[in-house]
Amino acid sequence: MSEDHHPSPVDLPGGPDFHGRPLRWATIAIAVATLFLGLFNATAINGWAVELAPTPLSARIVAATEAWEETTEAIGIAAPRAWLHARWKALQTARFKGQEKAE
Amino acid sequence: MLFPTLTFGLFFLATYAVIWGVGRANEWRKILLLLASWIFYGAWDWRFVALLIFSAFLNWGTAALIARTDEEYEPGRRKALLAFGVAANLGILGFFKYYDFFLEQLGLLLAHFGFERDMPLLEIILPVGVSFFTFQGMSYLIDVARRKVPPASLLDMTLLMSFFPHLVAGPIVRASDLIPQFRRTPKLERGMVAMGLLLIVWGLFKKAVIASELSVGLVDPVFFDPSAHSSLDLVIAAYGYAVQIYCDFSAYSDMAIGLAALLGYRFPYNFNQPYRARSLQDFWRRWHISLSSWLRDYLYISLGGSRGGLARACRNIMITMLLGGLWHGAKWTFLIWGGLHGIVQVLETLWRKLRPAGWPHLPAALAIVATFHIVTLGWIFFRADTFDGAIAFLDGIGRGDWGSTIATPLAIGLILFGMAIHFTPPTLAQGIALRLRGVPAIWLGLATGVVILLIDAMRFEGVAPFIYYQF
Repeated sequence: MSEDHHPSPVDLPGGPDFHGRPLRWATIAIAVATLFLGLFNATAINGWAVELAPTPLSARIVAATEAWEETTEAIGIAAPRAWLHARWKALQTARFKGQEKAE
Repeated sequence: MLFPTLTFGLFFLATYAVIWGVGRANEWRKILLLLASWIFYGAWDWRFVALLIFSAFLNWGTAALIARTDEEYEPGRRKALLAFGVAANLGILGFFKYYDFFLEQLGLLLAHFGFERDMPLLEIILPVGVSFFTFQGMSYLIDVARRKVPPASLLDMTLLMSFFPHLVAGPIVRASDLIPQFRRTPKLERGMVAMGLLLIVWGLFKKAVIASELSVGLVDPVFFDPSAHSSLDLVIAAYGYAVQIYCDFSAYSDMAIGLAALLGYRFPYNFNQPYRARSLQDFWRRWHISLSSWLRDYLYISLGGSRGGLARACRNIMITMLLGGLWHGAKWTFLIWGGLHGIVQVLETLWRKLRPAGWPHLPAALAIVATFHIVTLGWIFFRADTFDGAIAFLDGIGRGDWGSTIATPLAIGLILFGMAIHFTPPTLAQGIALRLRGVPAIWLGLATGVVILLIDAMRFEGVAPFIYYQF
């Protein structure tokens, strides 16, 4: 009985992967990325919280994420995201010569 | 629960922690994955989790009965069981997806002959991903009947159909690819993790930035009212939709493959730079590969494939492409889209067989441009809400009003970028992943965080559902 196998993009060329402790390596990478985003992307976290269905629990979550967003703004770590977002918004509103300006 | 949202991010982090937390207890891992998949699916509508479970039981039970029959002495019983299983899957799909459509068409036909009737339409809610999991169930039954895969345990079969990364929009992962992986304890490799993270981040960028921006800023307004836009707008919106649908659907596949990789499972390719195809047949080897290979293996070949002469091969191509179009939804526009792809592939087959000796081949660049424009023409029918809408769109292009456009520099830039990525080296991502697997975890985590922050700063406010959720 044969089994078909279709190639996967996660099978990298170059033979076996001898790098050690892959689960630990992956978990640290994911944890660091999560922590980084928790610190620098409080705006998005609060944006997510305010979209939650209104319940006593979600009200507490919103209060916590708002407080965290204000804290990150106060200490300046929200600035990189805000700066990037402003540059992107400027790109969105750019128009060709002769086109109506964006509202 | 959409992939590019914080809700899904938290769900995935919890699943990752629990799944790897059980250590080498593979059966527990699968049970927990199954529960996680049902929570994921239930976030849309809890009622359809029951449908998913019923469908898995149906396919598992039928396959077990097929496997018990003797191929030599009970061929009739084997065929009858297979026919029952396939018909039951098609029945589920037909009821939820096509019942109202066919009844509406019947109503129109009766009205045409003077027998106007109120048809008993049910206005059925379409379960998300029903086309994907029913096709997966059918391929499993056929593979068991063809003795290509052994029958799976109930747990493996239920997980095969429910596994959340591929559940709602593919890729259609076959039993032969996934069941053997379920049987052993999954093992991570750094390269697999690096590629998984790369695919997730790349998919996030394609969906949240390119597809969303093109959809909201250009494609949706132009397709909503083609008559209110210039010919130039219509042409740019058609190109825009070609890039949008690629960036939307391939993003889902990339993220699904990446998420599965972080859980230790390998999903097959679903896209391979489709707009660099040199023919429609080449396009279908690069676009939605899991569906096109499914249609080839279970429909085209079952119909006889290219056996039985040229005329029969052409007929089989047409049937396959028409049904492939109908798979996307109960609308005439999908049927026309499939028909267009079928006709061009038939012409390609005839040309390949009957081309006079010595006639030159089309230069590669010209073949790519021609194929892309045929595909884009097809996308107009695919995207339009109605056949009349598609015709109005094409009429608008023919109006020849090239003086103005609503397309912004950003939209044009994204369309060009979406096309340019088709002409990068095909193994570019794997090359990057090979380098990343040697990087310390902290640096990889920081890099991932920085790129996601960048994408989040660029993304459109709110996340639209993936286009293929509706199928």
